[in-house]
Amino acid sequence: MISSFFASVGEKILNFSKIIGGIVYLFYQIILALLPPKFDLDEFWRNLYKMGVKSVPIIILTAFFTGGIMVIQASVFVKKFGATSLVGWGAGYSVFREVGPILLGLMFSGRVGSNNTAELGTMVVTEQIDGLKALAIDPFRYLIVPRVLAMIIMLFLLTIIGNVVAISGAALFGKYIAGVSYAGFWTSFSQNLYLGDLIHGLIKAAIFGFIVSLNSCYFGISVKGGAVGVGKAVNNSVVASALGIVIFDYILTYNIT
Amino acid sequence: MLKLTDITLKLDGNLILDNISLNIQPGSIWGIIGPPASGKSVLVKTICGFFKPQRGSILFNDTDICKIPEAKMLEIRKQIGMLFQNNALFDFMNVWENVAFPLRRSNPEIDPGQLRQKAWKRLKKVGLAGSENKLCSELSGGMQKRVGIARATINKAPLNIYDEPTAGLDPVTTSKIYDLLLEIKRQNSSTVLAISSDVEGLRDFVDNIIVLYEGKVRYSGPEKDLESSTDPVVHQFVRGEEEGPL
Repeated sequence: MISSFFASVGEKILNFSKIIGGIVYLFYQIILALLPPKFDLDEFWRNLYKMGVKSVPIIILTAFFTGGIMVIQASVFVKKFGATSLVGWGAGYSVFREVGPILLGLMFSGRVGSNNTAELGTMVVTEQIDGLKALAIDPFRYLIVPRVLAMIIMLFLLTIIGNVVAISGAALFGKYIAGVSYAGFWTSFSQNLYLGDLIHGLIKAAIFGFIVSLNSCYFGISVKGGAVGVGKAVNNSVVASALGIVIFDYILTYNIT
Repeated sequence: MLKLTDITLKLDGNLILDNISLNIQPGSIWGIIGPPASGKSVLVKTICGFFKPQRGSILFNDTDICKIPEAKMLEIRKQIGMLFQNNALFDFMNVWENVAFPLRRSNPEIDPGQLRQKAWKRLKKVGLAGSENKLCSELSGGMQKRVGIARATINKAPLNIYDEPTAGLDPVTTSKIYDLLLEIKRQNSSTVLAISSDVEGLRDFVDNIIVLYEGKVRYSGPEKDLESSTDPVVHQFVRGEEEGPL
């Protein structure tokens, strides 16, 4: 009974160490592949479009309502204390620094990361990765590196778009729900926020993009078994990405701030 | 062309290939047969460098592929055309792209018109002209197999490996596929290594045969002498008898 308990704990620790080791090794291989950068440009452009451009509608929708929700939540206190001059700043500060990168990162992980894991996992179980190798193509430079770069760049750019839309949403909802004029919103926003607030969030977005890409690629290429294995890998990838985003958000917020 | 000496491979602690030695001459056609899980696919994948054996050597044109890094192995693979058991077609590409892909990768400077023409010719050769723009998932099993063959042979590699080229196909299509493989072999003057569960069909196609059982070579030699093997496993497997060690 006791020995089986320790065996089970030991197995979990070993599995966890294997995952961390695998992700670190993948990171090392990506660095090697980028010195000098040698990867498939066609695949890179294809992924920029698939992962980034096709994510724009869902990011706009999410960001717009996120901005609105923040104003709805704040409107009670704004009306109570007459703090209309803080709405623009409050919305901008929280969107730029936290809500934007985190929410969009999680949305990106759900839409793009999970898809990436499923795609790579399916390629593993249907021997398409071996098929690439058989055609003398390095699957790492052909599949992994372009995807990792595309995810970092696209989450960064999508966060910029998301920020603009969320602030617009906040201004719109602020006018009709909290009674804050556009001019008042803009004055509060422009006078109290700094470029550093925006950069803070964009650094986070790029790092979250890297976390999602590493996790999704690692779990994708480590798939074992058939459809069940792919399902598990997608699940693990999304959970690991969400955890990674939250943990690194804490570390970055603590250190950058 | 290809010389395997004492190849021993263990995967997850299980002995998959046990002391395998073979000498495959250029231009010959070899067939690999054996009961399920006897190590046939693993053997050809080891030849392609997907597995590194714990012991032995594989000389591919005098280069020991067991001792070279993956980057060099990629160069060796340019000389091998492989058809996988489940075809391994790229599902993010259509039929034309699947067939043109190896040509485009091996020759990035190729003129688009020439690429289109070569890929179309290869598709016509395998009887798939008109299906260029279809996704592979829209094709039947036999058609997918033919796309796999077109992709494996378009670069005219000196060694072609076919893993179950006729699996799941009806006798007429099987016969057509073997005729096609033979025609491609004659045109390219390539060496061929083919695995099949269809023993009779394969015997008509090959010059030499290897019988694998539990990772060991039980017979290796001319196809015509297969019947005269005294090994009970070979005897039972080839004749399809119920009584015996299998």
